[in-house]
Amino acid sequence: MSGHVIHARSLRKSYGTLEAVKGIDIEVQAGEVFGLLGPNGAGKTTTVEMLEGLRPRSGGEVTVLGFDPDRQKQALKDRIGVCLQATNLPDKIKVHEALDLFGSFYSKRVDGDALLKRLQLWEKREAGYATLSGGQKQRLALALALINDPQMLFLDEPTTGLDPQVRLEIRDLIEELRAENRTILMTTHYIEEAERLCDRVAIIDNGVIIAIGSPRELQEKSETQSGVEVSLGQPAPATDLPALPGAIRTIVSDDRRQISVSSSRPAQTLVELIRWIDAQGIELVDVHLNRPTLEDVFIELTGKRLRE
Amino acid sequence: MQSFLALLKIDLKLAMRNRAVLFFNYFFPLIFFFVFAQMFDAHQGSAILQVVAMVIVLGILGNGLFGAGMRAVQEREENILRRYKVTPITPVPLLAASMITGVVLFVPSVILIIFLAHQFYGMAIPAQFLSLIVFVCLGAIAFRSLGLIIAAVVNSSQESNILIQPIYMAMLFLSGATIPITFMPHWLQNVTQFIPATYLMTGIGGIIQRGESLGENWLSVLALIVTTLVATFIATKLFRWEKDEKLRASAKLWVLVVLLPFLLLGAYQAWSQHDLVKARILARDLRRGQTWLIQNARIFIGNGNVIESGAVLVKGGKIAAVYDGAFPDAKKLNAEEIDAAGKTVLPGLIDMHVHLGGPGGFYDDWTKFDPEKSSERELAAYLYCGITAVRSSGDKVDDMLKLRQRVNSGERLGSELFLCGPLFTAPGGHGTEYAKGLPEMARAGFNAQFLRIPQTQAEARQQVDELATRGVNAIKGILEAGVPGYTFNRMNIDLLRAVVQEAHAKKLPASIHTGDARDVSDAVSLGADSIEHGSFRDEIPDATIAEMKAKGIAFDPTLSVVEGLSDFAKGKTDLLKRSLVQQVTTKELLAGTEHAASSKEMKSMRDGLGRYPLSMELGGRNLLKAWKAGVLLVTGSDAGNFLVLHGPTVQREIELWVAAGIPPEVALQAATFNAAKLLRADQRIGTIEKGKEASLLVVDGNPLQDVRALSAISYVFLKGERVTRTKLFDQK
Repeated sequence: MSGHVIHARSLRKSYGTLEAVKGIDIEVQAGEVFGLLGPNGAGKTTTVEMLEGLRPRSGGEVTVLGFDPDRQKQALKDRIGVCLQATNLPDKIKVHEALDLFGSFYSKRVDGDALLKRLQLWEKREAGYATLSGGQKQRLALALALINDPQMLFLDEPTTGLDPQVRLEIRDLIEELRAENRTILMTTHYIEEAERLCDRVAIIDNGVIIAIGSPRELQEKSETQSGVEVSLGQPAPATDLPALPGAIRTIVSDDRRQISVSSSRPAQTLVELIRWIDAQGIELVDVHLNRPTLEDVFIELTGKRLRE
Repeated sequence: MQSFLALLKIDLKLAMRNRAVLFFNYFFPLIFFFVFAQMFDAHQGSAILQVVAMVIVLGILGNGLFGAGMRAVQEREENILRRYKVTPITPVPLLAASMITGVVLFVPSVILIIFLAHQFYGMAIPAQFLSLIVFVCLGAIAFRSLGLIIAAVVNSSQESNILIQPIYMAMLFLSGATIPITFMPHWLQNVTQFIPATYLMTGIGGIIQRGESLGENWLSVLALIVTTLVATFIATKLFRWEKDEKLRASAKLWVLVVLLPFLLLGAYQAWSQHDLVKARILARDLRRGQTWLIQNARIFIGNGNVIESGAVLVKGGKIAAVYDGAFPDAKKLNAEEIDAAGKTVLPGLIDMHVHLGGPGGFYDDWTKFDPEKSSERELAAYLYCGITAVRSSGDKVDDMLKLRQRVNSGERLGSELFLCGPLFTAPGGHGTEYAKGLPEMARAGFNAQFLRIPQTQAEARQQVDELATRGVNAIKGILEAGVPGYTFNRMNIDLLRAVVQEAHAKKLPASIHTGDARDVSDAVSLGADSIEHGSFRDEIPDATIAEMKAKGIAFDPTLSVVEGLSDFAKGKTDLLKRSLVQQVTTKELLAGTEHAASSKEMKSMRDGLGRYPLSMELGGRNLLKAWKAGVLLVTGSDAGNFLVLHGPTVQREIELWVAAGIPPEVALQAATFNAAKLLRADQRIGTIEKGKEASLLVVDGNPLQDVRALSAISYVFLKGERVTRTKLFDQK
């Protein structure tokens, strides 16, 4: 294995005649945070579950940490940490008991108390699962995923359903985990989460990867143009605007105090536009440079919004 | 293993935190316990045993089907199992922990129930306590595995409810856990044998009621173990971590596969009836375990003593106390009281000489006569009349051994049966004439069952040994030459001596049929234990009588058969009109006998019989001489002969004795204590003494003044059970 923690080639899954995953190639490097984006039903969860050893694949080659998830299921599960969405624990189990219990399932385990302290659950260690808040439950889920000190973490929608404040806390935690050089594969609905946390993302739709790369690379590949927008102190003269480099379309507002230019080379366009405004002796009030977001890229590629 | 222990620990902790679990494992059985105890009058007698068995079975059912089954489905539905799925554990420790948890929670509740039964209802701690606990654990594990297989095949809580409810109900009502199996119609009893919980019920019943060990219930144990293994294996194979994984509807058929051991067992039981018989015996034991106080009664002890007014406490099938004069309050003794003012309590009567193979009369249509069925009915007729033990003195041995097994085990209600087995006689001797009426083909088979005709002493001994091994209670020989016109070959004395000696070597009493005084003398000198009939055609010499007294040989004069045969020869049928005879005899037999006593076709037979010398006067005189000489007297009727109908035989025999001049108390002692002695059962029957079996007859009036009171029966008890006499003839 070639320094890759996850190596999947032509990964396929079909249910009868329905092909849910149609040949996916993914390579995840050690220490990388890799995001899987895709609309509902795109095949994200199926893909992740095949990698985790929860679901047998229909075809293709896969190794995770050097194990075949189908044939070396137990060994693989012993080494990875998984944070699934929509799982529960028995209502009456106490936080520390859950850690003890899950710790017993693995050949290697870390100190549960230290984990609880780190995940700010120490005060809640005697609390029953049912009494925990959403954020506490999610932190406990992360603690359980970390109990075997995994090199590889799978986080399935780790912040979905949490309120914004808690979401930020969880993201901070993930950043910490990334700093510990753990490999993380996550799925998410939140573009800004992927932009902030992921080294690379893959966009899946209809069971195939339609784009893969770092968030910046994807944005740059986008066909969506950047836009330049200026606000003026006085109306611009009613003459034609000069030819701006890279400009595709220019719109001037009715009062001639706003000029928007979409451009393939926004930096040059902006410099030329400001130079012209200055030459006209008009006061420049405000400047905006709009770059395309990952969300724009996503919509462009899939025709769907990420969250529907 | 580490995961299993951690899961077990958590499962137990969670169960202890779950109020529903505690409710169903502890509170719920307790409610049932006290309700059932109330319903079944558990404070008196042994009904508490039944109650304990019922409550334990109910607990196992709930614990398994609802505790394990429902919970497993819920954990899947709530996505708890899904969380486990991403860890390295397999279904095995999960399933195993669930099974063990159930058992660990349940066993203390069983112990609690037993403790309460012991404290509040005086139940003895089961002798096979360890067997009981092991059996309960096996049962609980098996039923939890059933719960888990149900959980494995259903797709939702709703479905599991739909599947569990009918299974639970069927097991509840068809296992004997709520309705005793013996109350059910026979076809339904067979159905119960296909229900796994029935084996729990029968097994637990056997262990706590009869002190059986696990080994004696090996079939049930095996079925429980096989079910556990199969169910666990299939539950592992079908295990689903997620609610989204659905199984086909046909997967539910796996439940049937798991129940296969019980289907096979059910088929076996339907064929062998083994457990149904056991269920009947267990039910009988419970009825025999009730506590009664028969109070204000005159008590004829049996050994010559009489208590003019007192009480008899019956408990656990035995006589627990006999009170002369004052007696405690029945309530304090937890006994049901029976007021017997103006009544007399006697030990159950004993007829030492019956032939169950003979109906005692005639049928117009002999196809109506089924020897096997009528033998059963005859024992019921004896019991109806308060004759609680009879000795078969010449019947087909296999039939009698089978019948004795059925009746003495309690499977069937009837008088206790003792048997002599086949008659030892000479070729052409008395006994051989019965086969003459049979078709040629049937004779050999009949004789093999009915007769032993040894040629040598060695053969005689070997034949006795063989019968002893098969478990006969006595050996009977024939010493009879008949009279001119009706001669028999008399048995060689040396051969008969060998028979008697060998019987004694095998610790069996030897009884000898005699025809005349010479036969009696020879039988006495051979050292027989009882003389059957004595002589009805000559007087037994004083010397012989003295020798009988000296040797302790019992005399069974069977005056009834003299009366019966003489009456029949005369066409006189008064004996058929006695009230008890009318009550216990079938219409067909009464009518057929009535016809035979007067019909033209039978006239030559009656006349022939009339020519045979049978003198009541001589029989009575021999009896009187024996009594005066102090010979041990016993009562026998020779029922099965014409007009000596099975039923109130001892009553009639005693009336004949009294008519011959024997005092009532002597005759009564002959019918109880003395007879028990000759049966070699006097350590457990024959007298009303503490520790003896409670087989009793309660009659109106005082038979010591007028023996006809013996026919005015108020109650009959057999081994502690108050016999419902009217239902004796309805036994299935």
